Amino acid sequence: MSRIADQAYLRTRLAIMSTNLLSPEQLIDLSQLPLDELSTRSGFDVIKGNNVAQRLATFERALMQTWLDELSALLRPLKGPARRLLTQWASRYELLNIKALVRGKIGQLPNEEIERSLFQLPGFLSLNHDELLNTDSVPELLRHLQKTRYNRIATQALRRYEERPDPFLLDATLDQQFYSELIDRARQLESPDRDETLDLIGRIVDRHNLVWSLRYRYNYELQASEVLYLAIDGGRILNRQELQHILQADTLDEAISVLPASLFGDKAVPKQILLIEAMLRRNLHDRARGLMRRSPSALTSVLAYLVLRFGDINTLYAIVHARIYGIDDAVLSDALDPLHREAA
Amino acid sequence: MLAGNDMRHVTITLMREELPRASLVLAELEAFAPDERPLLESELPEIPGQTFRARIRRAWGHLDRLEALLGELPKNDAEMPPLVLQREQLIEVDRWLAEAWEQCAPCDEDLHRLEDEFRELGHLEQSLNDFADLDIDLSRLQGEHAYLDMRIGSIPTDNLKRLREVLALSNHMILNVSGDDETVRVLIAGSREKSDVLDSVLHAAAFQPLAIPERFDDNPDAVREQLAEQRLELERKCDALRNRLANWRDTNRREFLRARQLLEAAEPYVALRGAARTRGTLAALQGWVPAKRLPHVEAMLKRQLALPFLISSRPARPDEEHLVPVPLQNRGLLKPFAVLVQQYGVPRFGEFDPTVLFAITFAAMFGMMFGDVGHGAVIVLVGLVLRKRIGAFTYLFVLAGGSSMLFGWLYGSVFGVEHWLHPLWIAPMTDPIYMLTVALGWGVAFLTLGSAIAIINRLRAGDQAGAIFGPGGVLPLVLYLALLIGLINLANGKGFPLVATAVIVLALVLLVAYQWQASNAPFGERFMTTLIETFEIVNGYITSSLSFLRVAAFSLNHVALSLAVFTLADGMGVIGHWITLVLGNLFVIVLEGIIVAIQTLRLEYYEGFSRYFYGDGQAFRPLRVGRTQSI
Repeated sequence: MSRIADQAYLRTRLAIMSTNLLSPEQLIDLSQLPLDELSTRSGFDVIKGNNVAQRLATFERALMQTWLDELSALLRPLKGPARRLLTQWASRYELLNIKALVRGKIGQLPNEEIERSLFQLPGFLSLNHDELLNTDSVPELLRHLQKTRYNRIATQALRRYEERPDPFLLDATLDQQFYSELIDRARQLESPDRDETLDLIGRIVDRHNLVWSLRYRYNYELQASEVLYLAIDGGRILNRQELQHILQADTLDEAISVLPASLFGDKAVPKQILLIEAMLRRNLHDRARGLMRRSPSALTSVLAYLVLRFGDINTLYAIVHARIYGIDDAVLSDALDPLHREAA
Repeated sequence: MLAGNDMRHVTITLMREELPRASLVLAELEAFAPDERPLLESELPEIPGQTFRARIRRAWGHLDRLEALLGELPKNDAEMPPLVLQREQLIEVDRWLAEAWEQCAPCDEDLHRLEDEFRELGHLEQSLNDFADLDIDLSRLQGEHAYLDMRIGSIPTDNLKRLREVLALSNHMILNVSGDDETVRVLIAGSREKSDVLDSVLHAAAFQPLAIPERFDDNPDAVREQLAEQRLELERKCDALRNRLANWRDTNRREFLRARQLLEAAEPYVALRGAARTRGTLAALQGWVPAKRLPHVEAMLKRQLALPFLISSRPARPDEEHLVPVPLQNRGLLKPFAVLVQQYGVPRFGEFDPTVLFAITFAAMFGMMFGDVGHGAVIVLVGLVLRKRIGAFTYLFVLAGGSSMLFGWLYGSVFGVEHWLHPLWIAPMTDPIYMLTVALGWGVAFLTLGSAIAIINRLRAGDQAGAIFGPGGVLPLVLYLALLIGLINLANGKGFPLVATAVIVLALVLLVAYQWQASNAPFGERFMTTLIETFEIVNGYITSSLSFLRVAAFSLNHVALSLAVFTLADGMGVIGHWITLVLGNLFVIVLEGIIVAIQTLRLEYYEGFSRYFYGDGQAFRPLRVGRTQSI
């Protein structure tokens, strides 16, 4: 992406849009408000309706619509690999939907309940959820997925599922495909877009790999080699050898003791996976904020903005769900900022 | 000519149990577009049919899956009596479909299992070929060994690279690889001590071990025979399953048809959503109906509904005009032009519907730019030959080609030859300046008409200021015409008339004053925007007028292109001459036809529509029977 006009357009758009981003403090403040005030303050004054489902649906639609408008505006000047990179990032919501569908089917939840947890996406970013929802079993769902762009994953998952139903294996494979495609698309870019986006994606992959590898190894007690197989290529610091070194430890504490300090900057390494995840997320978001403002690549700034926006949207979802379903304030605040509780 | 002018807002008050029936009647008429605004929320707070909707969705899901498994069923049955949609029937059909799927699902699973067995058999046959040249007993490779752990099987091709890397870390090796894009067959070896490690990684990599038959090595032909028999056996099982399903389908054909018919009849009710509201046993339906169809709607409801109902209608209120759906001209000759108008936008309620004007001016400009009897006839013929494929666009071809033939007569041009036919009017090349003048005159008329329509549209929309001062409004139009008259006088050596000068100055002063008071910016910015906006209004008319010179330019271009073809043909022998003439004419028809069509559309959209057409209306999408509700 080299045209000066395109760069100027994106920078201007970003400058305007970045004012919509919510800081961690703002999110905490929002989580403490009653629903009506939260609705007004979050900028989505639409949490209305006669019942819970309606209120959530209207809020979700407004949030998604805003996100889509922003995405369309940012995609406008982009072509080729740059455009493909951002649309791949946008398919992240579809990925979450597929995971929710599979988990729901494994847990034999009623369709209405599964549907409530799905993001309402436009056709160009989404599969036909109706078809997937109207299945009786996980194998049938996977056979439907075989007719989509996820056909290879579905075929593998079907093989595995019949042998040993592990929902996290499908999760991991979906993530692998998602990040592999994202990295492939980033590699097709020219410098400086290429190096800068790969650096940012590498940080995201590092966080994902470390957190999930620790979970698989020490919570689910998978073999180290299987965990390594499930890891995603393309991390910035954690390559396969580094991960192998960590996962050879017999206990979580030992594994944490050999984590590379560079992952956490100048901060002490937390002792729980949840806190590690929170700290890495915070570091990633700090880095993304910096890149959004200062990266020499406008495309990286856009990607950084979308990463931050994704975090905001997920957090807002969590807050609104918690408010509507009456989840305890303390539980919500712990979930939103586990590091804060730890420091206290 | 005014879009949606005859639409009426209709409220039908009826008994709740009649809602599904009423929605079906309205859908069959295709004359009712639901209005989902909560206008009656205070009197009728409930939106009915939520459970109904979920049930219908589930029933459709079962029906679709059954069709995918059993093959498509006939869509309707003349013998089947028309259904009266009732809740009990729907529950019964939903239950029947669920039971039907329950009965068929095991067969579906069996078929998938057989597919997997076929695939595995294929891998086995492939492996037999892969290892045919090796002097090795494969069955021994898979057996128990003291120190060695060996596996033969297949994995998805995508997983090979990752598996190789991970296995290298635990000192396992992949010894043999063959396969295709989808799946590769591998032979993996490692230490028996680490077999649990290998198990877990292979599971993650979706590894499928091959069940190697005994005596794989010492009698390959016997093994091949054995595999062929297995294949035959699988095919027999498949056929038996399919026959069972086909019999089941034929036995239950009528129930299937009934289920489909009932679900399709229920679709309009589902599509009503918030347009239907209820309280207790009372219900109301709200929507938009074209006035001329209202009596028919009422008569049909009277005939079909068993219980009393009330129907009231009113014209659209000013505050809801932007919501009134506008019926589109989608019949006969105007249909292709309506489609092209909709590419730009849907007329707003009460706005001048440009479809007819667009059809006339499009045909006229196409003919003016591409006037040739022969080429026009070819375009007409192509349209008629392709009528099945292009549907309503046949009219566009016929009209454009017909106009081309008409102007061909006026220009005296047949396949580019200008001496076969005496021009009824003028051959363009004989007086290009006259042609350009005529084109400019056409442009002035077109723009003046466009401005007049814009003024009417804005007055109707209550935008008086826009009608007077806005681009294409009264003042800019007066200024434009005064400037035009002045310039014509000047060109004829009569000087610039004083009256025209006075009108121009007065119009400019008024425009500047309006722009100035409309801006709230600081002085400098206000000065600049006023200057630029006013300049833009005046300049817009001049550049748009000059745009129409292309109408003449393309008529000259047609002659020049034909001349080029003849010049090339004259340089050839007899056969080459005719080949060049035929190919050259084809080239002219295709290239010029496309370019002229694009240029005409450009003039229509940018010099016409952008001047007077809002195009932000809502299309009238009536309730329809069946599954594809475009609400």
